[in-house]
Amino acid sequence: MINTIIAMVRKELIDAARDKRSVMAGLYYAIGAPLMMCGMFMLLIGQITSPEALNITITHGERAPDLVKFLASDDISQGDKADRKEIELIISQDYASNMAKSRAAELTLIADNSNEKLQSSIRRIEKSLQQYSAEMGSLRLIARGIDPKVVQPIKVTIEDQATSDSKGGMILGIAIFMMVYAVFISGMNLAIDTSAGERERNSLALLLSHPVSTRDIVLAKVTAVTIFAMLGLILTLIISKIAYGFVPWQELGFSVNITPDFIGLMLVIGLPIALMAASLQLFVSFMAKSFKEAQSYLTIVLIVPMMLSMAASYNIAPDTLQWLPVSGQMQALIAFIKGKEIPQMQLLLSSATTLAITLALMFGMERSLKSEKIVFGL
Amino acid sequence: MPQANIMHTASDKERQTQLALWLLLPLAAMLFSLAGHAETDTAPTNDTCYVDGLPDRLRCGFVTVPENYAHPEGRQLNIHYAVLPAIKPSFTKEALLAIAGGPGQSAIENAPTFDRMLSKVRQQRDILLIDQRGTGQSNLLQCEGEGFEGALSLNEDDLDIASETQKCLDGLDADVSQYGSEIALKDFEAVRAHLGYDKLHVYGISYGTRMAQLYMRHYPQVLATVTLDGVVPMQQSVLHIGDAIDRAIGLLLDDCSSNALCHGQFADLEQDLQQVNTRLAQAPVSSQVRDPLTNEPLTLVMTRAKFMGALRMAMYTPNIRALLPHAIHQAAQDNFQAIMGLYALTIDSTGIAAGMHSSVVCGEDWQRFSQVERQQAEQNYFTREMVDAFDLSCPIWNVPAVDAEFSAPITSNIPTLVLSGQLDPATPPSWGEMAMAQLSNAKHFIAPYATHGVAYQSCGNDLIAQLVSNNSLDGLSDDCLSKDVRRNFYLNANTVEALPAAKQALSSTSHTEAQGVNHD
Amino acid sequence: MIKVANLSKRIGDVQALNDLSFEALDGQITGLLGPNGAGKTTCLRTVFGLLKPDNGTAEIDGIDVAKFPVEAKQQLGLFPDPFGLYERLTPREYVSYFAELNGLPRAQAKAAAASVLNKLHMDDIADRKCKGFSQGQRMKTALAQAIVHEPTNIILDEPTRGLDVMSTRVLRDLLKDLKAAGHCVLFSSHVMQEVAALCDRVIVMAQGKVVAIGSPEQLCQQTGKASLEDAFIELIGTDEGIAA
Repeated sequence: MINTIIAMVRKELIDAARDKRSVMAGLYYAIGAPLMMCGMFMLLIGQITSPEALNITITHGERAPDLVKFLASDDISQGDKADRKEIELIISQDYASNMAKSRAAELTLIADNSNEKLQSSIRRIEKSLQQYSAEMGSLRLIARGIDPKVVQPIKVTIEDQATSDSKGGMILGIAIFMMVYAVFISGMNLAIDTSAGERERNSLALLLSHPVSTRDIVLAKVTAVTIFAMLGLILTLIISKIAYGFVPWQELGFSVNITPDFIGLMLVIGLPIALMAASLQLFVSFMAKSFKEAQSYLTIVLIVPMMLSMAASYNIAPDTLQWLPVSGQMQALIAFIKGKEIPQMQLLLSSATTLAITLALMFGMERSLKSEKIVFGL
Repeated sequence: MPQANIMHTASDKERQTQLALWLLLPLAAMLFSLAGHAETDTAPTNDTCYVDGLPDRLRCGFVTVPENYAHPEGRQLNIHYAVLPAIKPSFTKEALLAIAGGPGQSAIENAPTFDRMLSKVRQQRDILLIDQRGTGQSNLLQCEGEGFEGALSLNEDDLDIASETQKCLDGLDADVSQYGSEIALKDFEAVRAHLGYDKLHVYGISYGTRMAQLYMRHYPQVLATVTLDGVVPMQQSVLHIGDAIDRAIGLLLDDCSSNALCHGQFADLEQDLQQVNTRLAQAPVSSQVRDPLTNEPLTLVMTRAKFMGALRMAMYTPNIRALLPHAIHQAAQDNFQAIMGLYALTIDSTGIAAGMHSSVVCGEDWQRFSQVERQQAEQNYFTREMVDAFDLSCPIWNVPAVDAEFSAPITSNIPTLVLSGQLDPATPPSWGEMAMAQLSNAKHFIAPYATHGVAYQSCGNDLIAQLVSNNSLDGLSDDCLSKDVRRNFYLNANTVEALPAAKQALSSTSHTEAQGVNHD
Repeated sequence: MIKVANLSKRIGDVQALNDLSFEALDGQITGLLGPNGAGKTTCLRTVFGLLKPDNGTAEIDGIDVAKFPVEAKQQLGLFPDPFGLYERLTPREYVSYFAELNGLPRAQAKAAAASVLNKLHMDDIADRKCKGFSQGQRMKTALAQAIVHEPTNIILDEPTRGLDVMSTRVLRDLLKDLKAAGHCVLFSSHVMQEVAALCDRVIVMAQGKVVAIGSPEQLCQQTGKASLEDAFIELIGTDEGIAA
């Protein structure tokens, strides 16, 4: 029996390896996705970080020359008109006279805070203005013989437990999601080819006519698809490890580092997910009447693991979700990369759920391969 | 450091004051610095620690060295260090060693300012901070003083420096002769070796430049680049600082008189200063005031030492310096409120380990300050005060003088960036020039609007990042240092902008640009 | 020996098999002749256990297919219609793969594949991928697959459909060889000539039922017709769906 399964797995792999469509689908994703991610992040970093020299419109700068000078020393100035961000700072008419009498001098900052590209620039200006205000406040107190500490009743000490690795957790959530998704994508074409495709080419009936049990057939096909999925995952990890090194994460104040430890953990955690992905895809494809139909079903089915893992990376999920497949493992991976303790119970349970679903799907497939409707696509 | 926090609200850039301090009046250092040091949460057994004012997790630890390298079995010291880990560690065998000033400041306590200033370097390289022996957590040589409650009511002339010094020495559990710069350098090397760095980029500020230069002299093979910011050349004693302070006061007066608004408001500033000095030299002025912090009533004894001390320290920081014309003018009108406010800032802010400070200055500067130099400096208030004080304390401290070779210029071809601030009240550009004498691969940049600590006040930190990443001075340009960042002076206790009456007059003739502000 | 007894099977509204019983003996070529839609393929699929009969049994060498499918099928070789080739595999890989599925260890499977490919004069195409093969080459590959494990019983579903003359001759010779070697050969066809030329026994099917069983001569006798063709029309009542 084992020999038969090995023979079938070997045949499926040879067959798949010669199938350009199956191989390319896996390759495109494993190579393309990390590269695209990196490209996207490089672009994003450029967009969301405030430019070194921030150019804005300062209206009536002549009413507050010292403020303008202060902003300029912070690299915030009018600059060339063409380069100006859509941010305007208006200095009120009575700015100087209010200032001279220690009354509040008014500035108006006009900008669209919902514009992501401007947010960091707006915050930078606000921070700069607060700094200026605080500096003047302190010096006014000193001029009155009062220690500026008087107006700082509370001192908050922050001990951030984050490491520069864990600060990248949000980004890594997306990266991990992409790696987990590699498991689903890499084996998908093979799964369809070896089920719906096999039936369409009439070799399924021939296979079933031979003295092999449907259980062996299911085991062999799931194994072959899983191997493909895991190869896709390994390739994705290798490409990611290389490509992520080129993104200037440090400009966002953290690092994204794919360590060998992480790769190891990812592979261990990824295996049950790959098994589930393989059996899910095979099951759905067997249910479909044709190759095309299988493709469209799977596209819809793939949304489910995607939602689960998105939920995990953005922490928008209710707690019960952490016991579910994919999201539970994702959370464990994110915890690991943040240097936190891995929630072992949760990981075990979600892996167990994953395997249970796998077994159920495999059992269902074994049954369905005995059904005439499935075998002949009736 | 409590002071660091006040300064933080005033301005980030003010924080350099604490770090960059070179040499307070020694009595102030000895008496008032006791609480200047804040405990960091370093646990030697635990690799992770936090420093006040910096939320990041740091890697901390210590290396145990003999207090006296000639007696390795004798008393042992734990030299504490902290590593600000690189954001994206790309050069794990390199680090930038940032050396604090003072002498006597803790590098680790200054981690937040180093972190901010060196943020670009830290993107790819670790920043290494070491508490030099006698400072911070490395067997702090601190003197118990009377606290600062009485500081404002004290007449400094009444202090018995000799007995205070003796009391301090008696209270220390240390061989104070072992706390000089060259011995401390061996500790730095031990830490470097312990952490496994092959190459160091060194940044020294103020007194830290002396350590950096000694590093160049004794261990050139481990240095990749050196930055000397506010440099103290090996060739001369730091007691020449009095000339630097006088020069800076002169520049302050010039700046005010060449500024239309300042000159308009304080036309006779030089006379005002003269007047206050003359008056306080005769006798202190006492008045009933409220404590700047607690609001308790107290008697302020305004002495010349307090006045000149406040003046001197305010000049370290550009935006505090902006208050000086107003403060001097008010003092001339018998109102010492602003001076008291400025002086209060200096009382508990220095973070100077007075014992270590004495070990360095008595061994390396006091004894080589020649008789001729003493006579030349006779007319300089600051030098005279300092020399007098050290003449009383150093014999008690009794540390041997450094060798004559100590004063030799540094000969080196390591890429070295020398930064000087034109307005520096401690280490003026001429000192930087002296340090350049035998540096064959060095550039000396003078920032026209910076005071002490150029890298904190200008694009100097970007130049350091560029130097570190290129390992070379090639392409380094001082263009960005000339960016005009001069701010207005305070015209009263409230504002730096033109006063309403003056403004009306100006705007009617559209001369609002008179302050030289460029809107671009 | 293949034996079916009282097979009934409904597919949808159609009674595809209706109390069907017959035997195919070792050392004989048995033809299953019937018009299109007579239930030939359904019958063969039932023998392979791909379809479950509503009633009745199918036995191969006395083993009930429904009860012991693996054991029963080990005695069977199938030449399917359509062939179901794996286009990305070579005939050598294809044939040796099915040999392994039939329980041969890998080394033996390879040897058996080599020998059967040689026997079918396929050495020149044995290591080319099946994609692009001519119909004759495909037929040979499928046939090699059916006999590589030397089963006692060989079932062929419409084996000559779409074959050229040369290929048909090769196939015929091979079937005769198999018969001579004592195998039980059962094939379905709707081509009368083929059946007449090859078969020792003919099972005539119509509407899921056996209409007549016997040698071609016996069938002529039974109907009193001179040619098998006429006999056939007589037996099934129409010539629709039958090819001469």
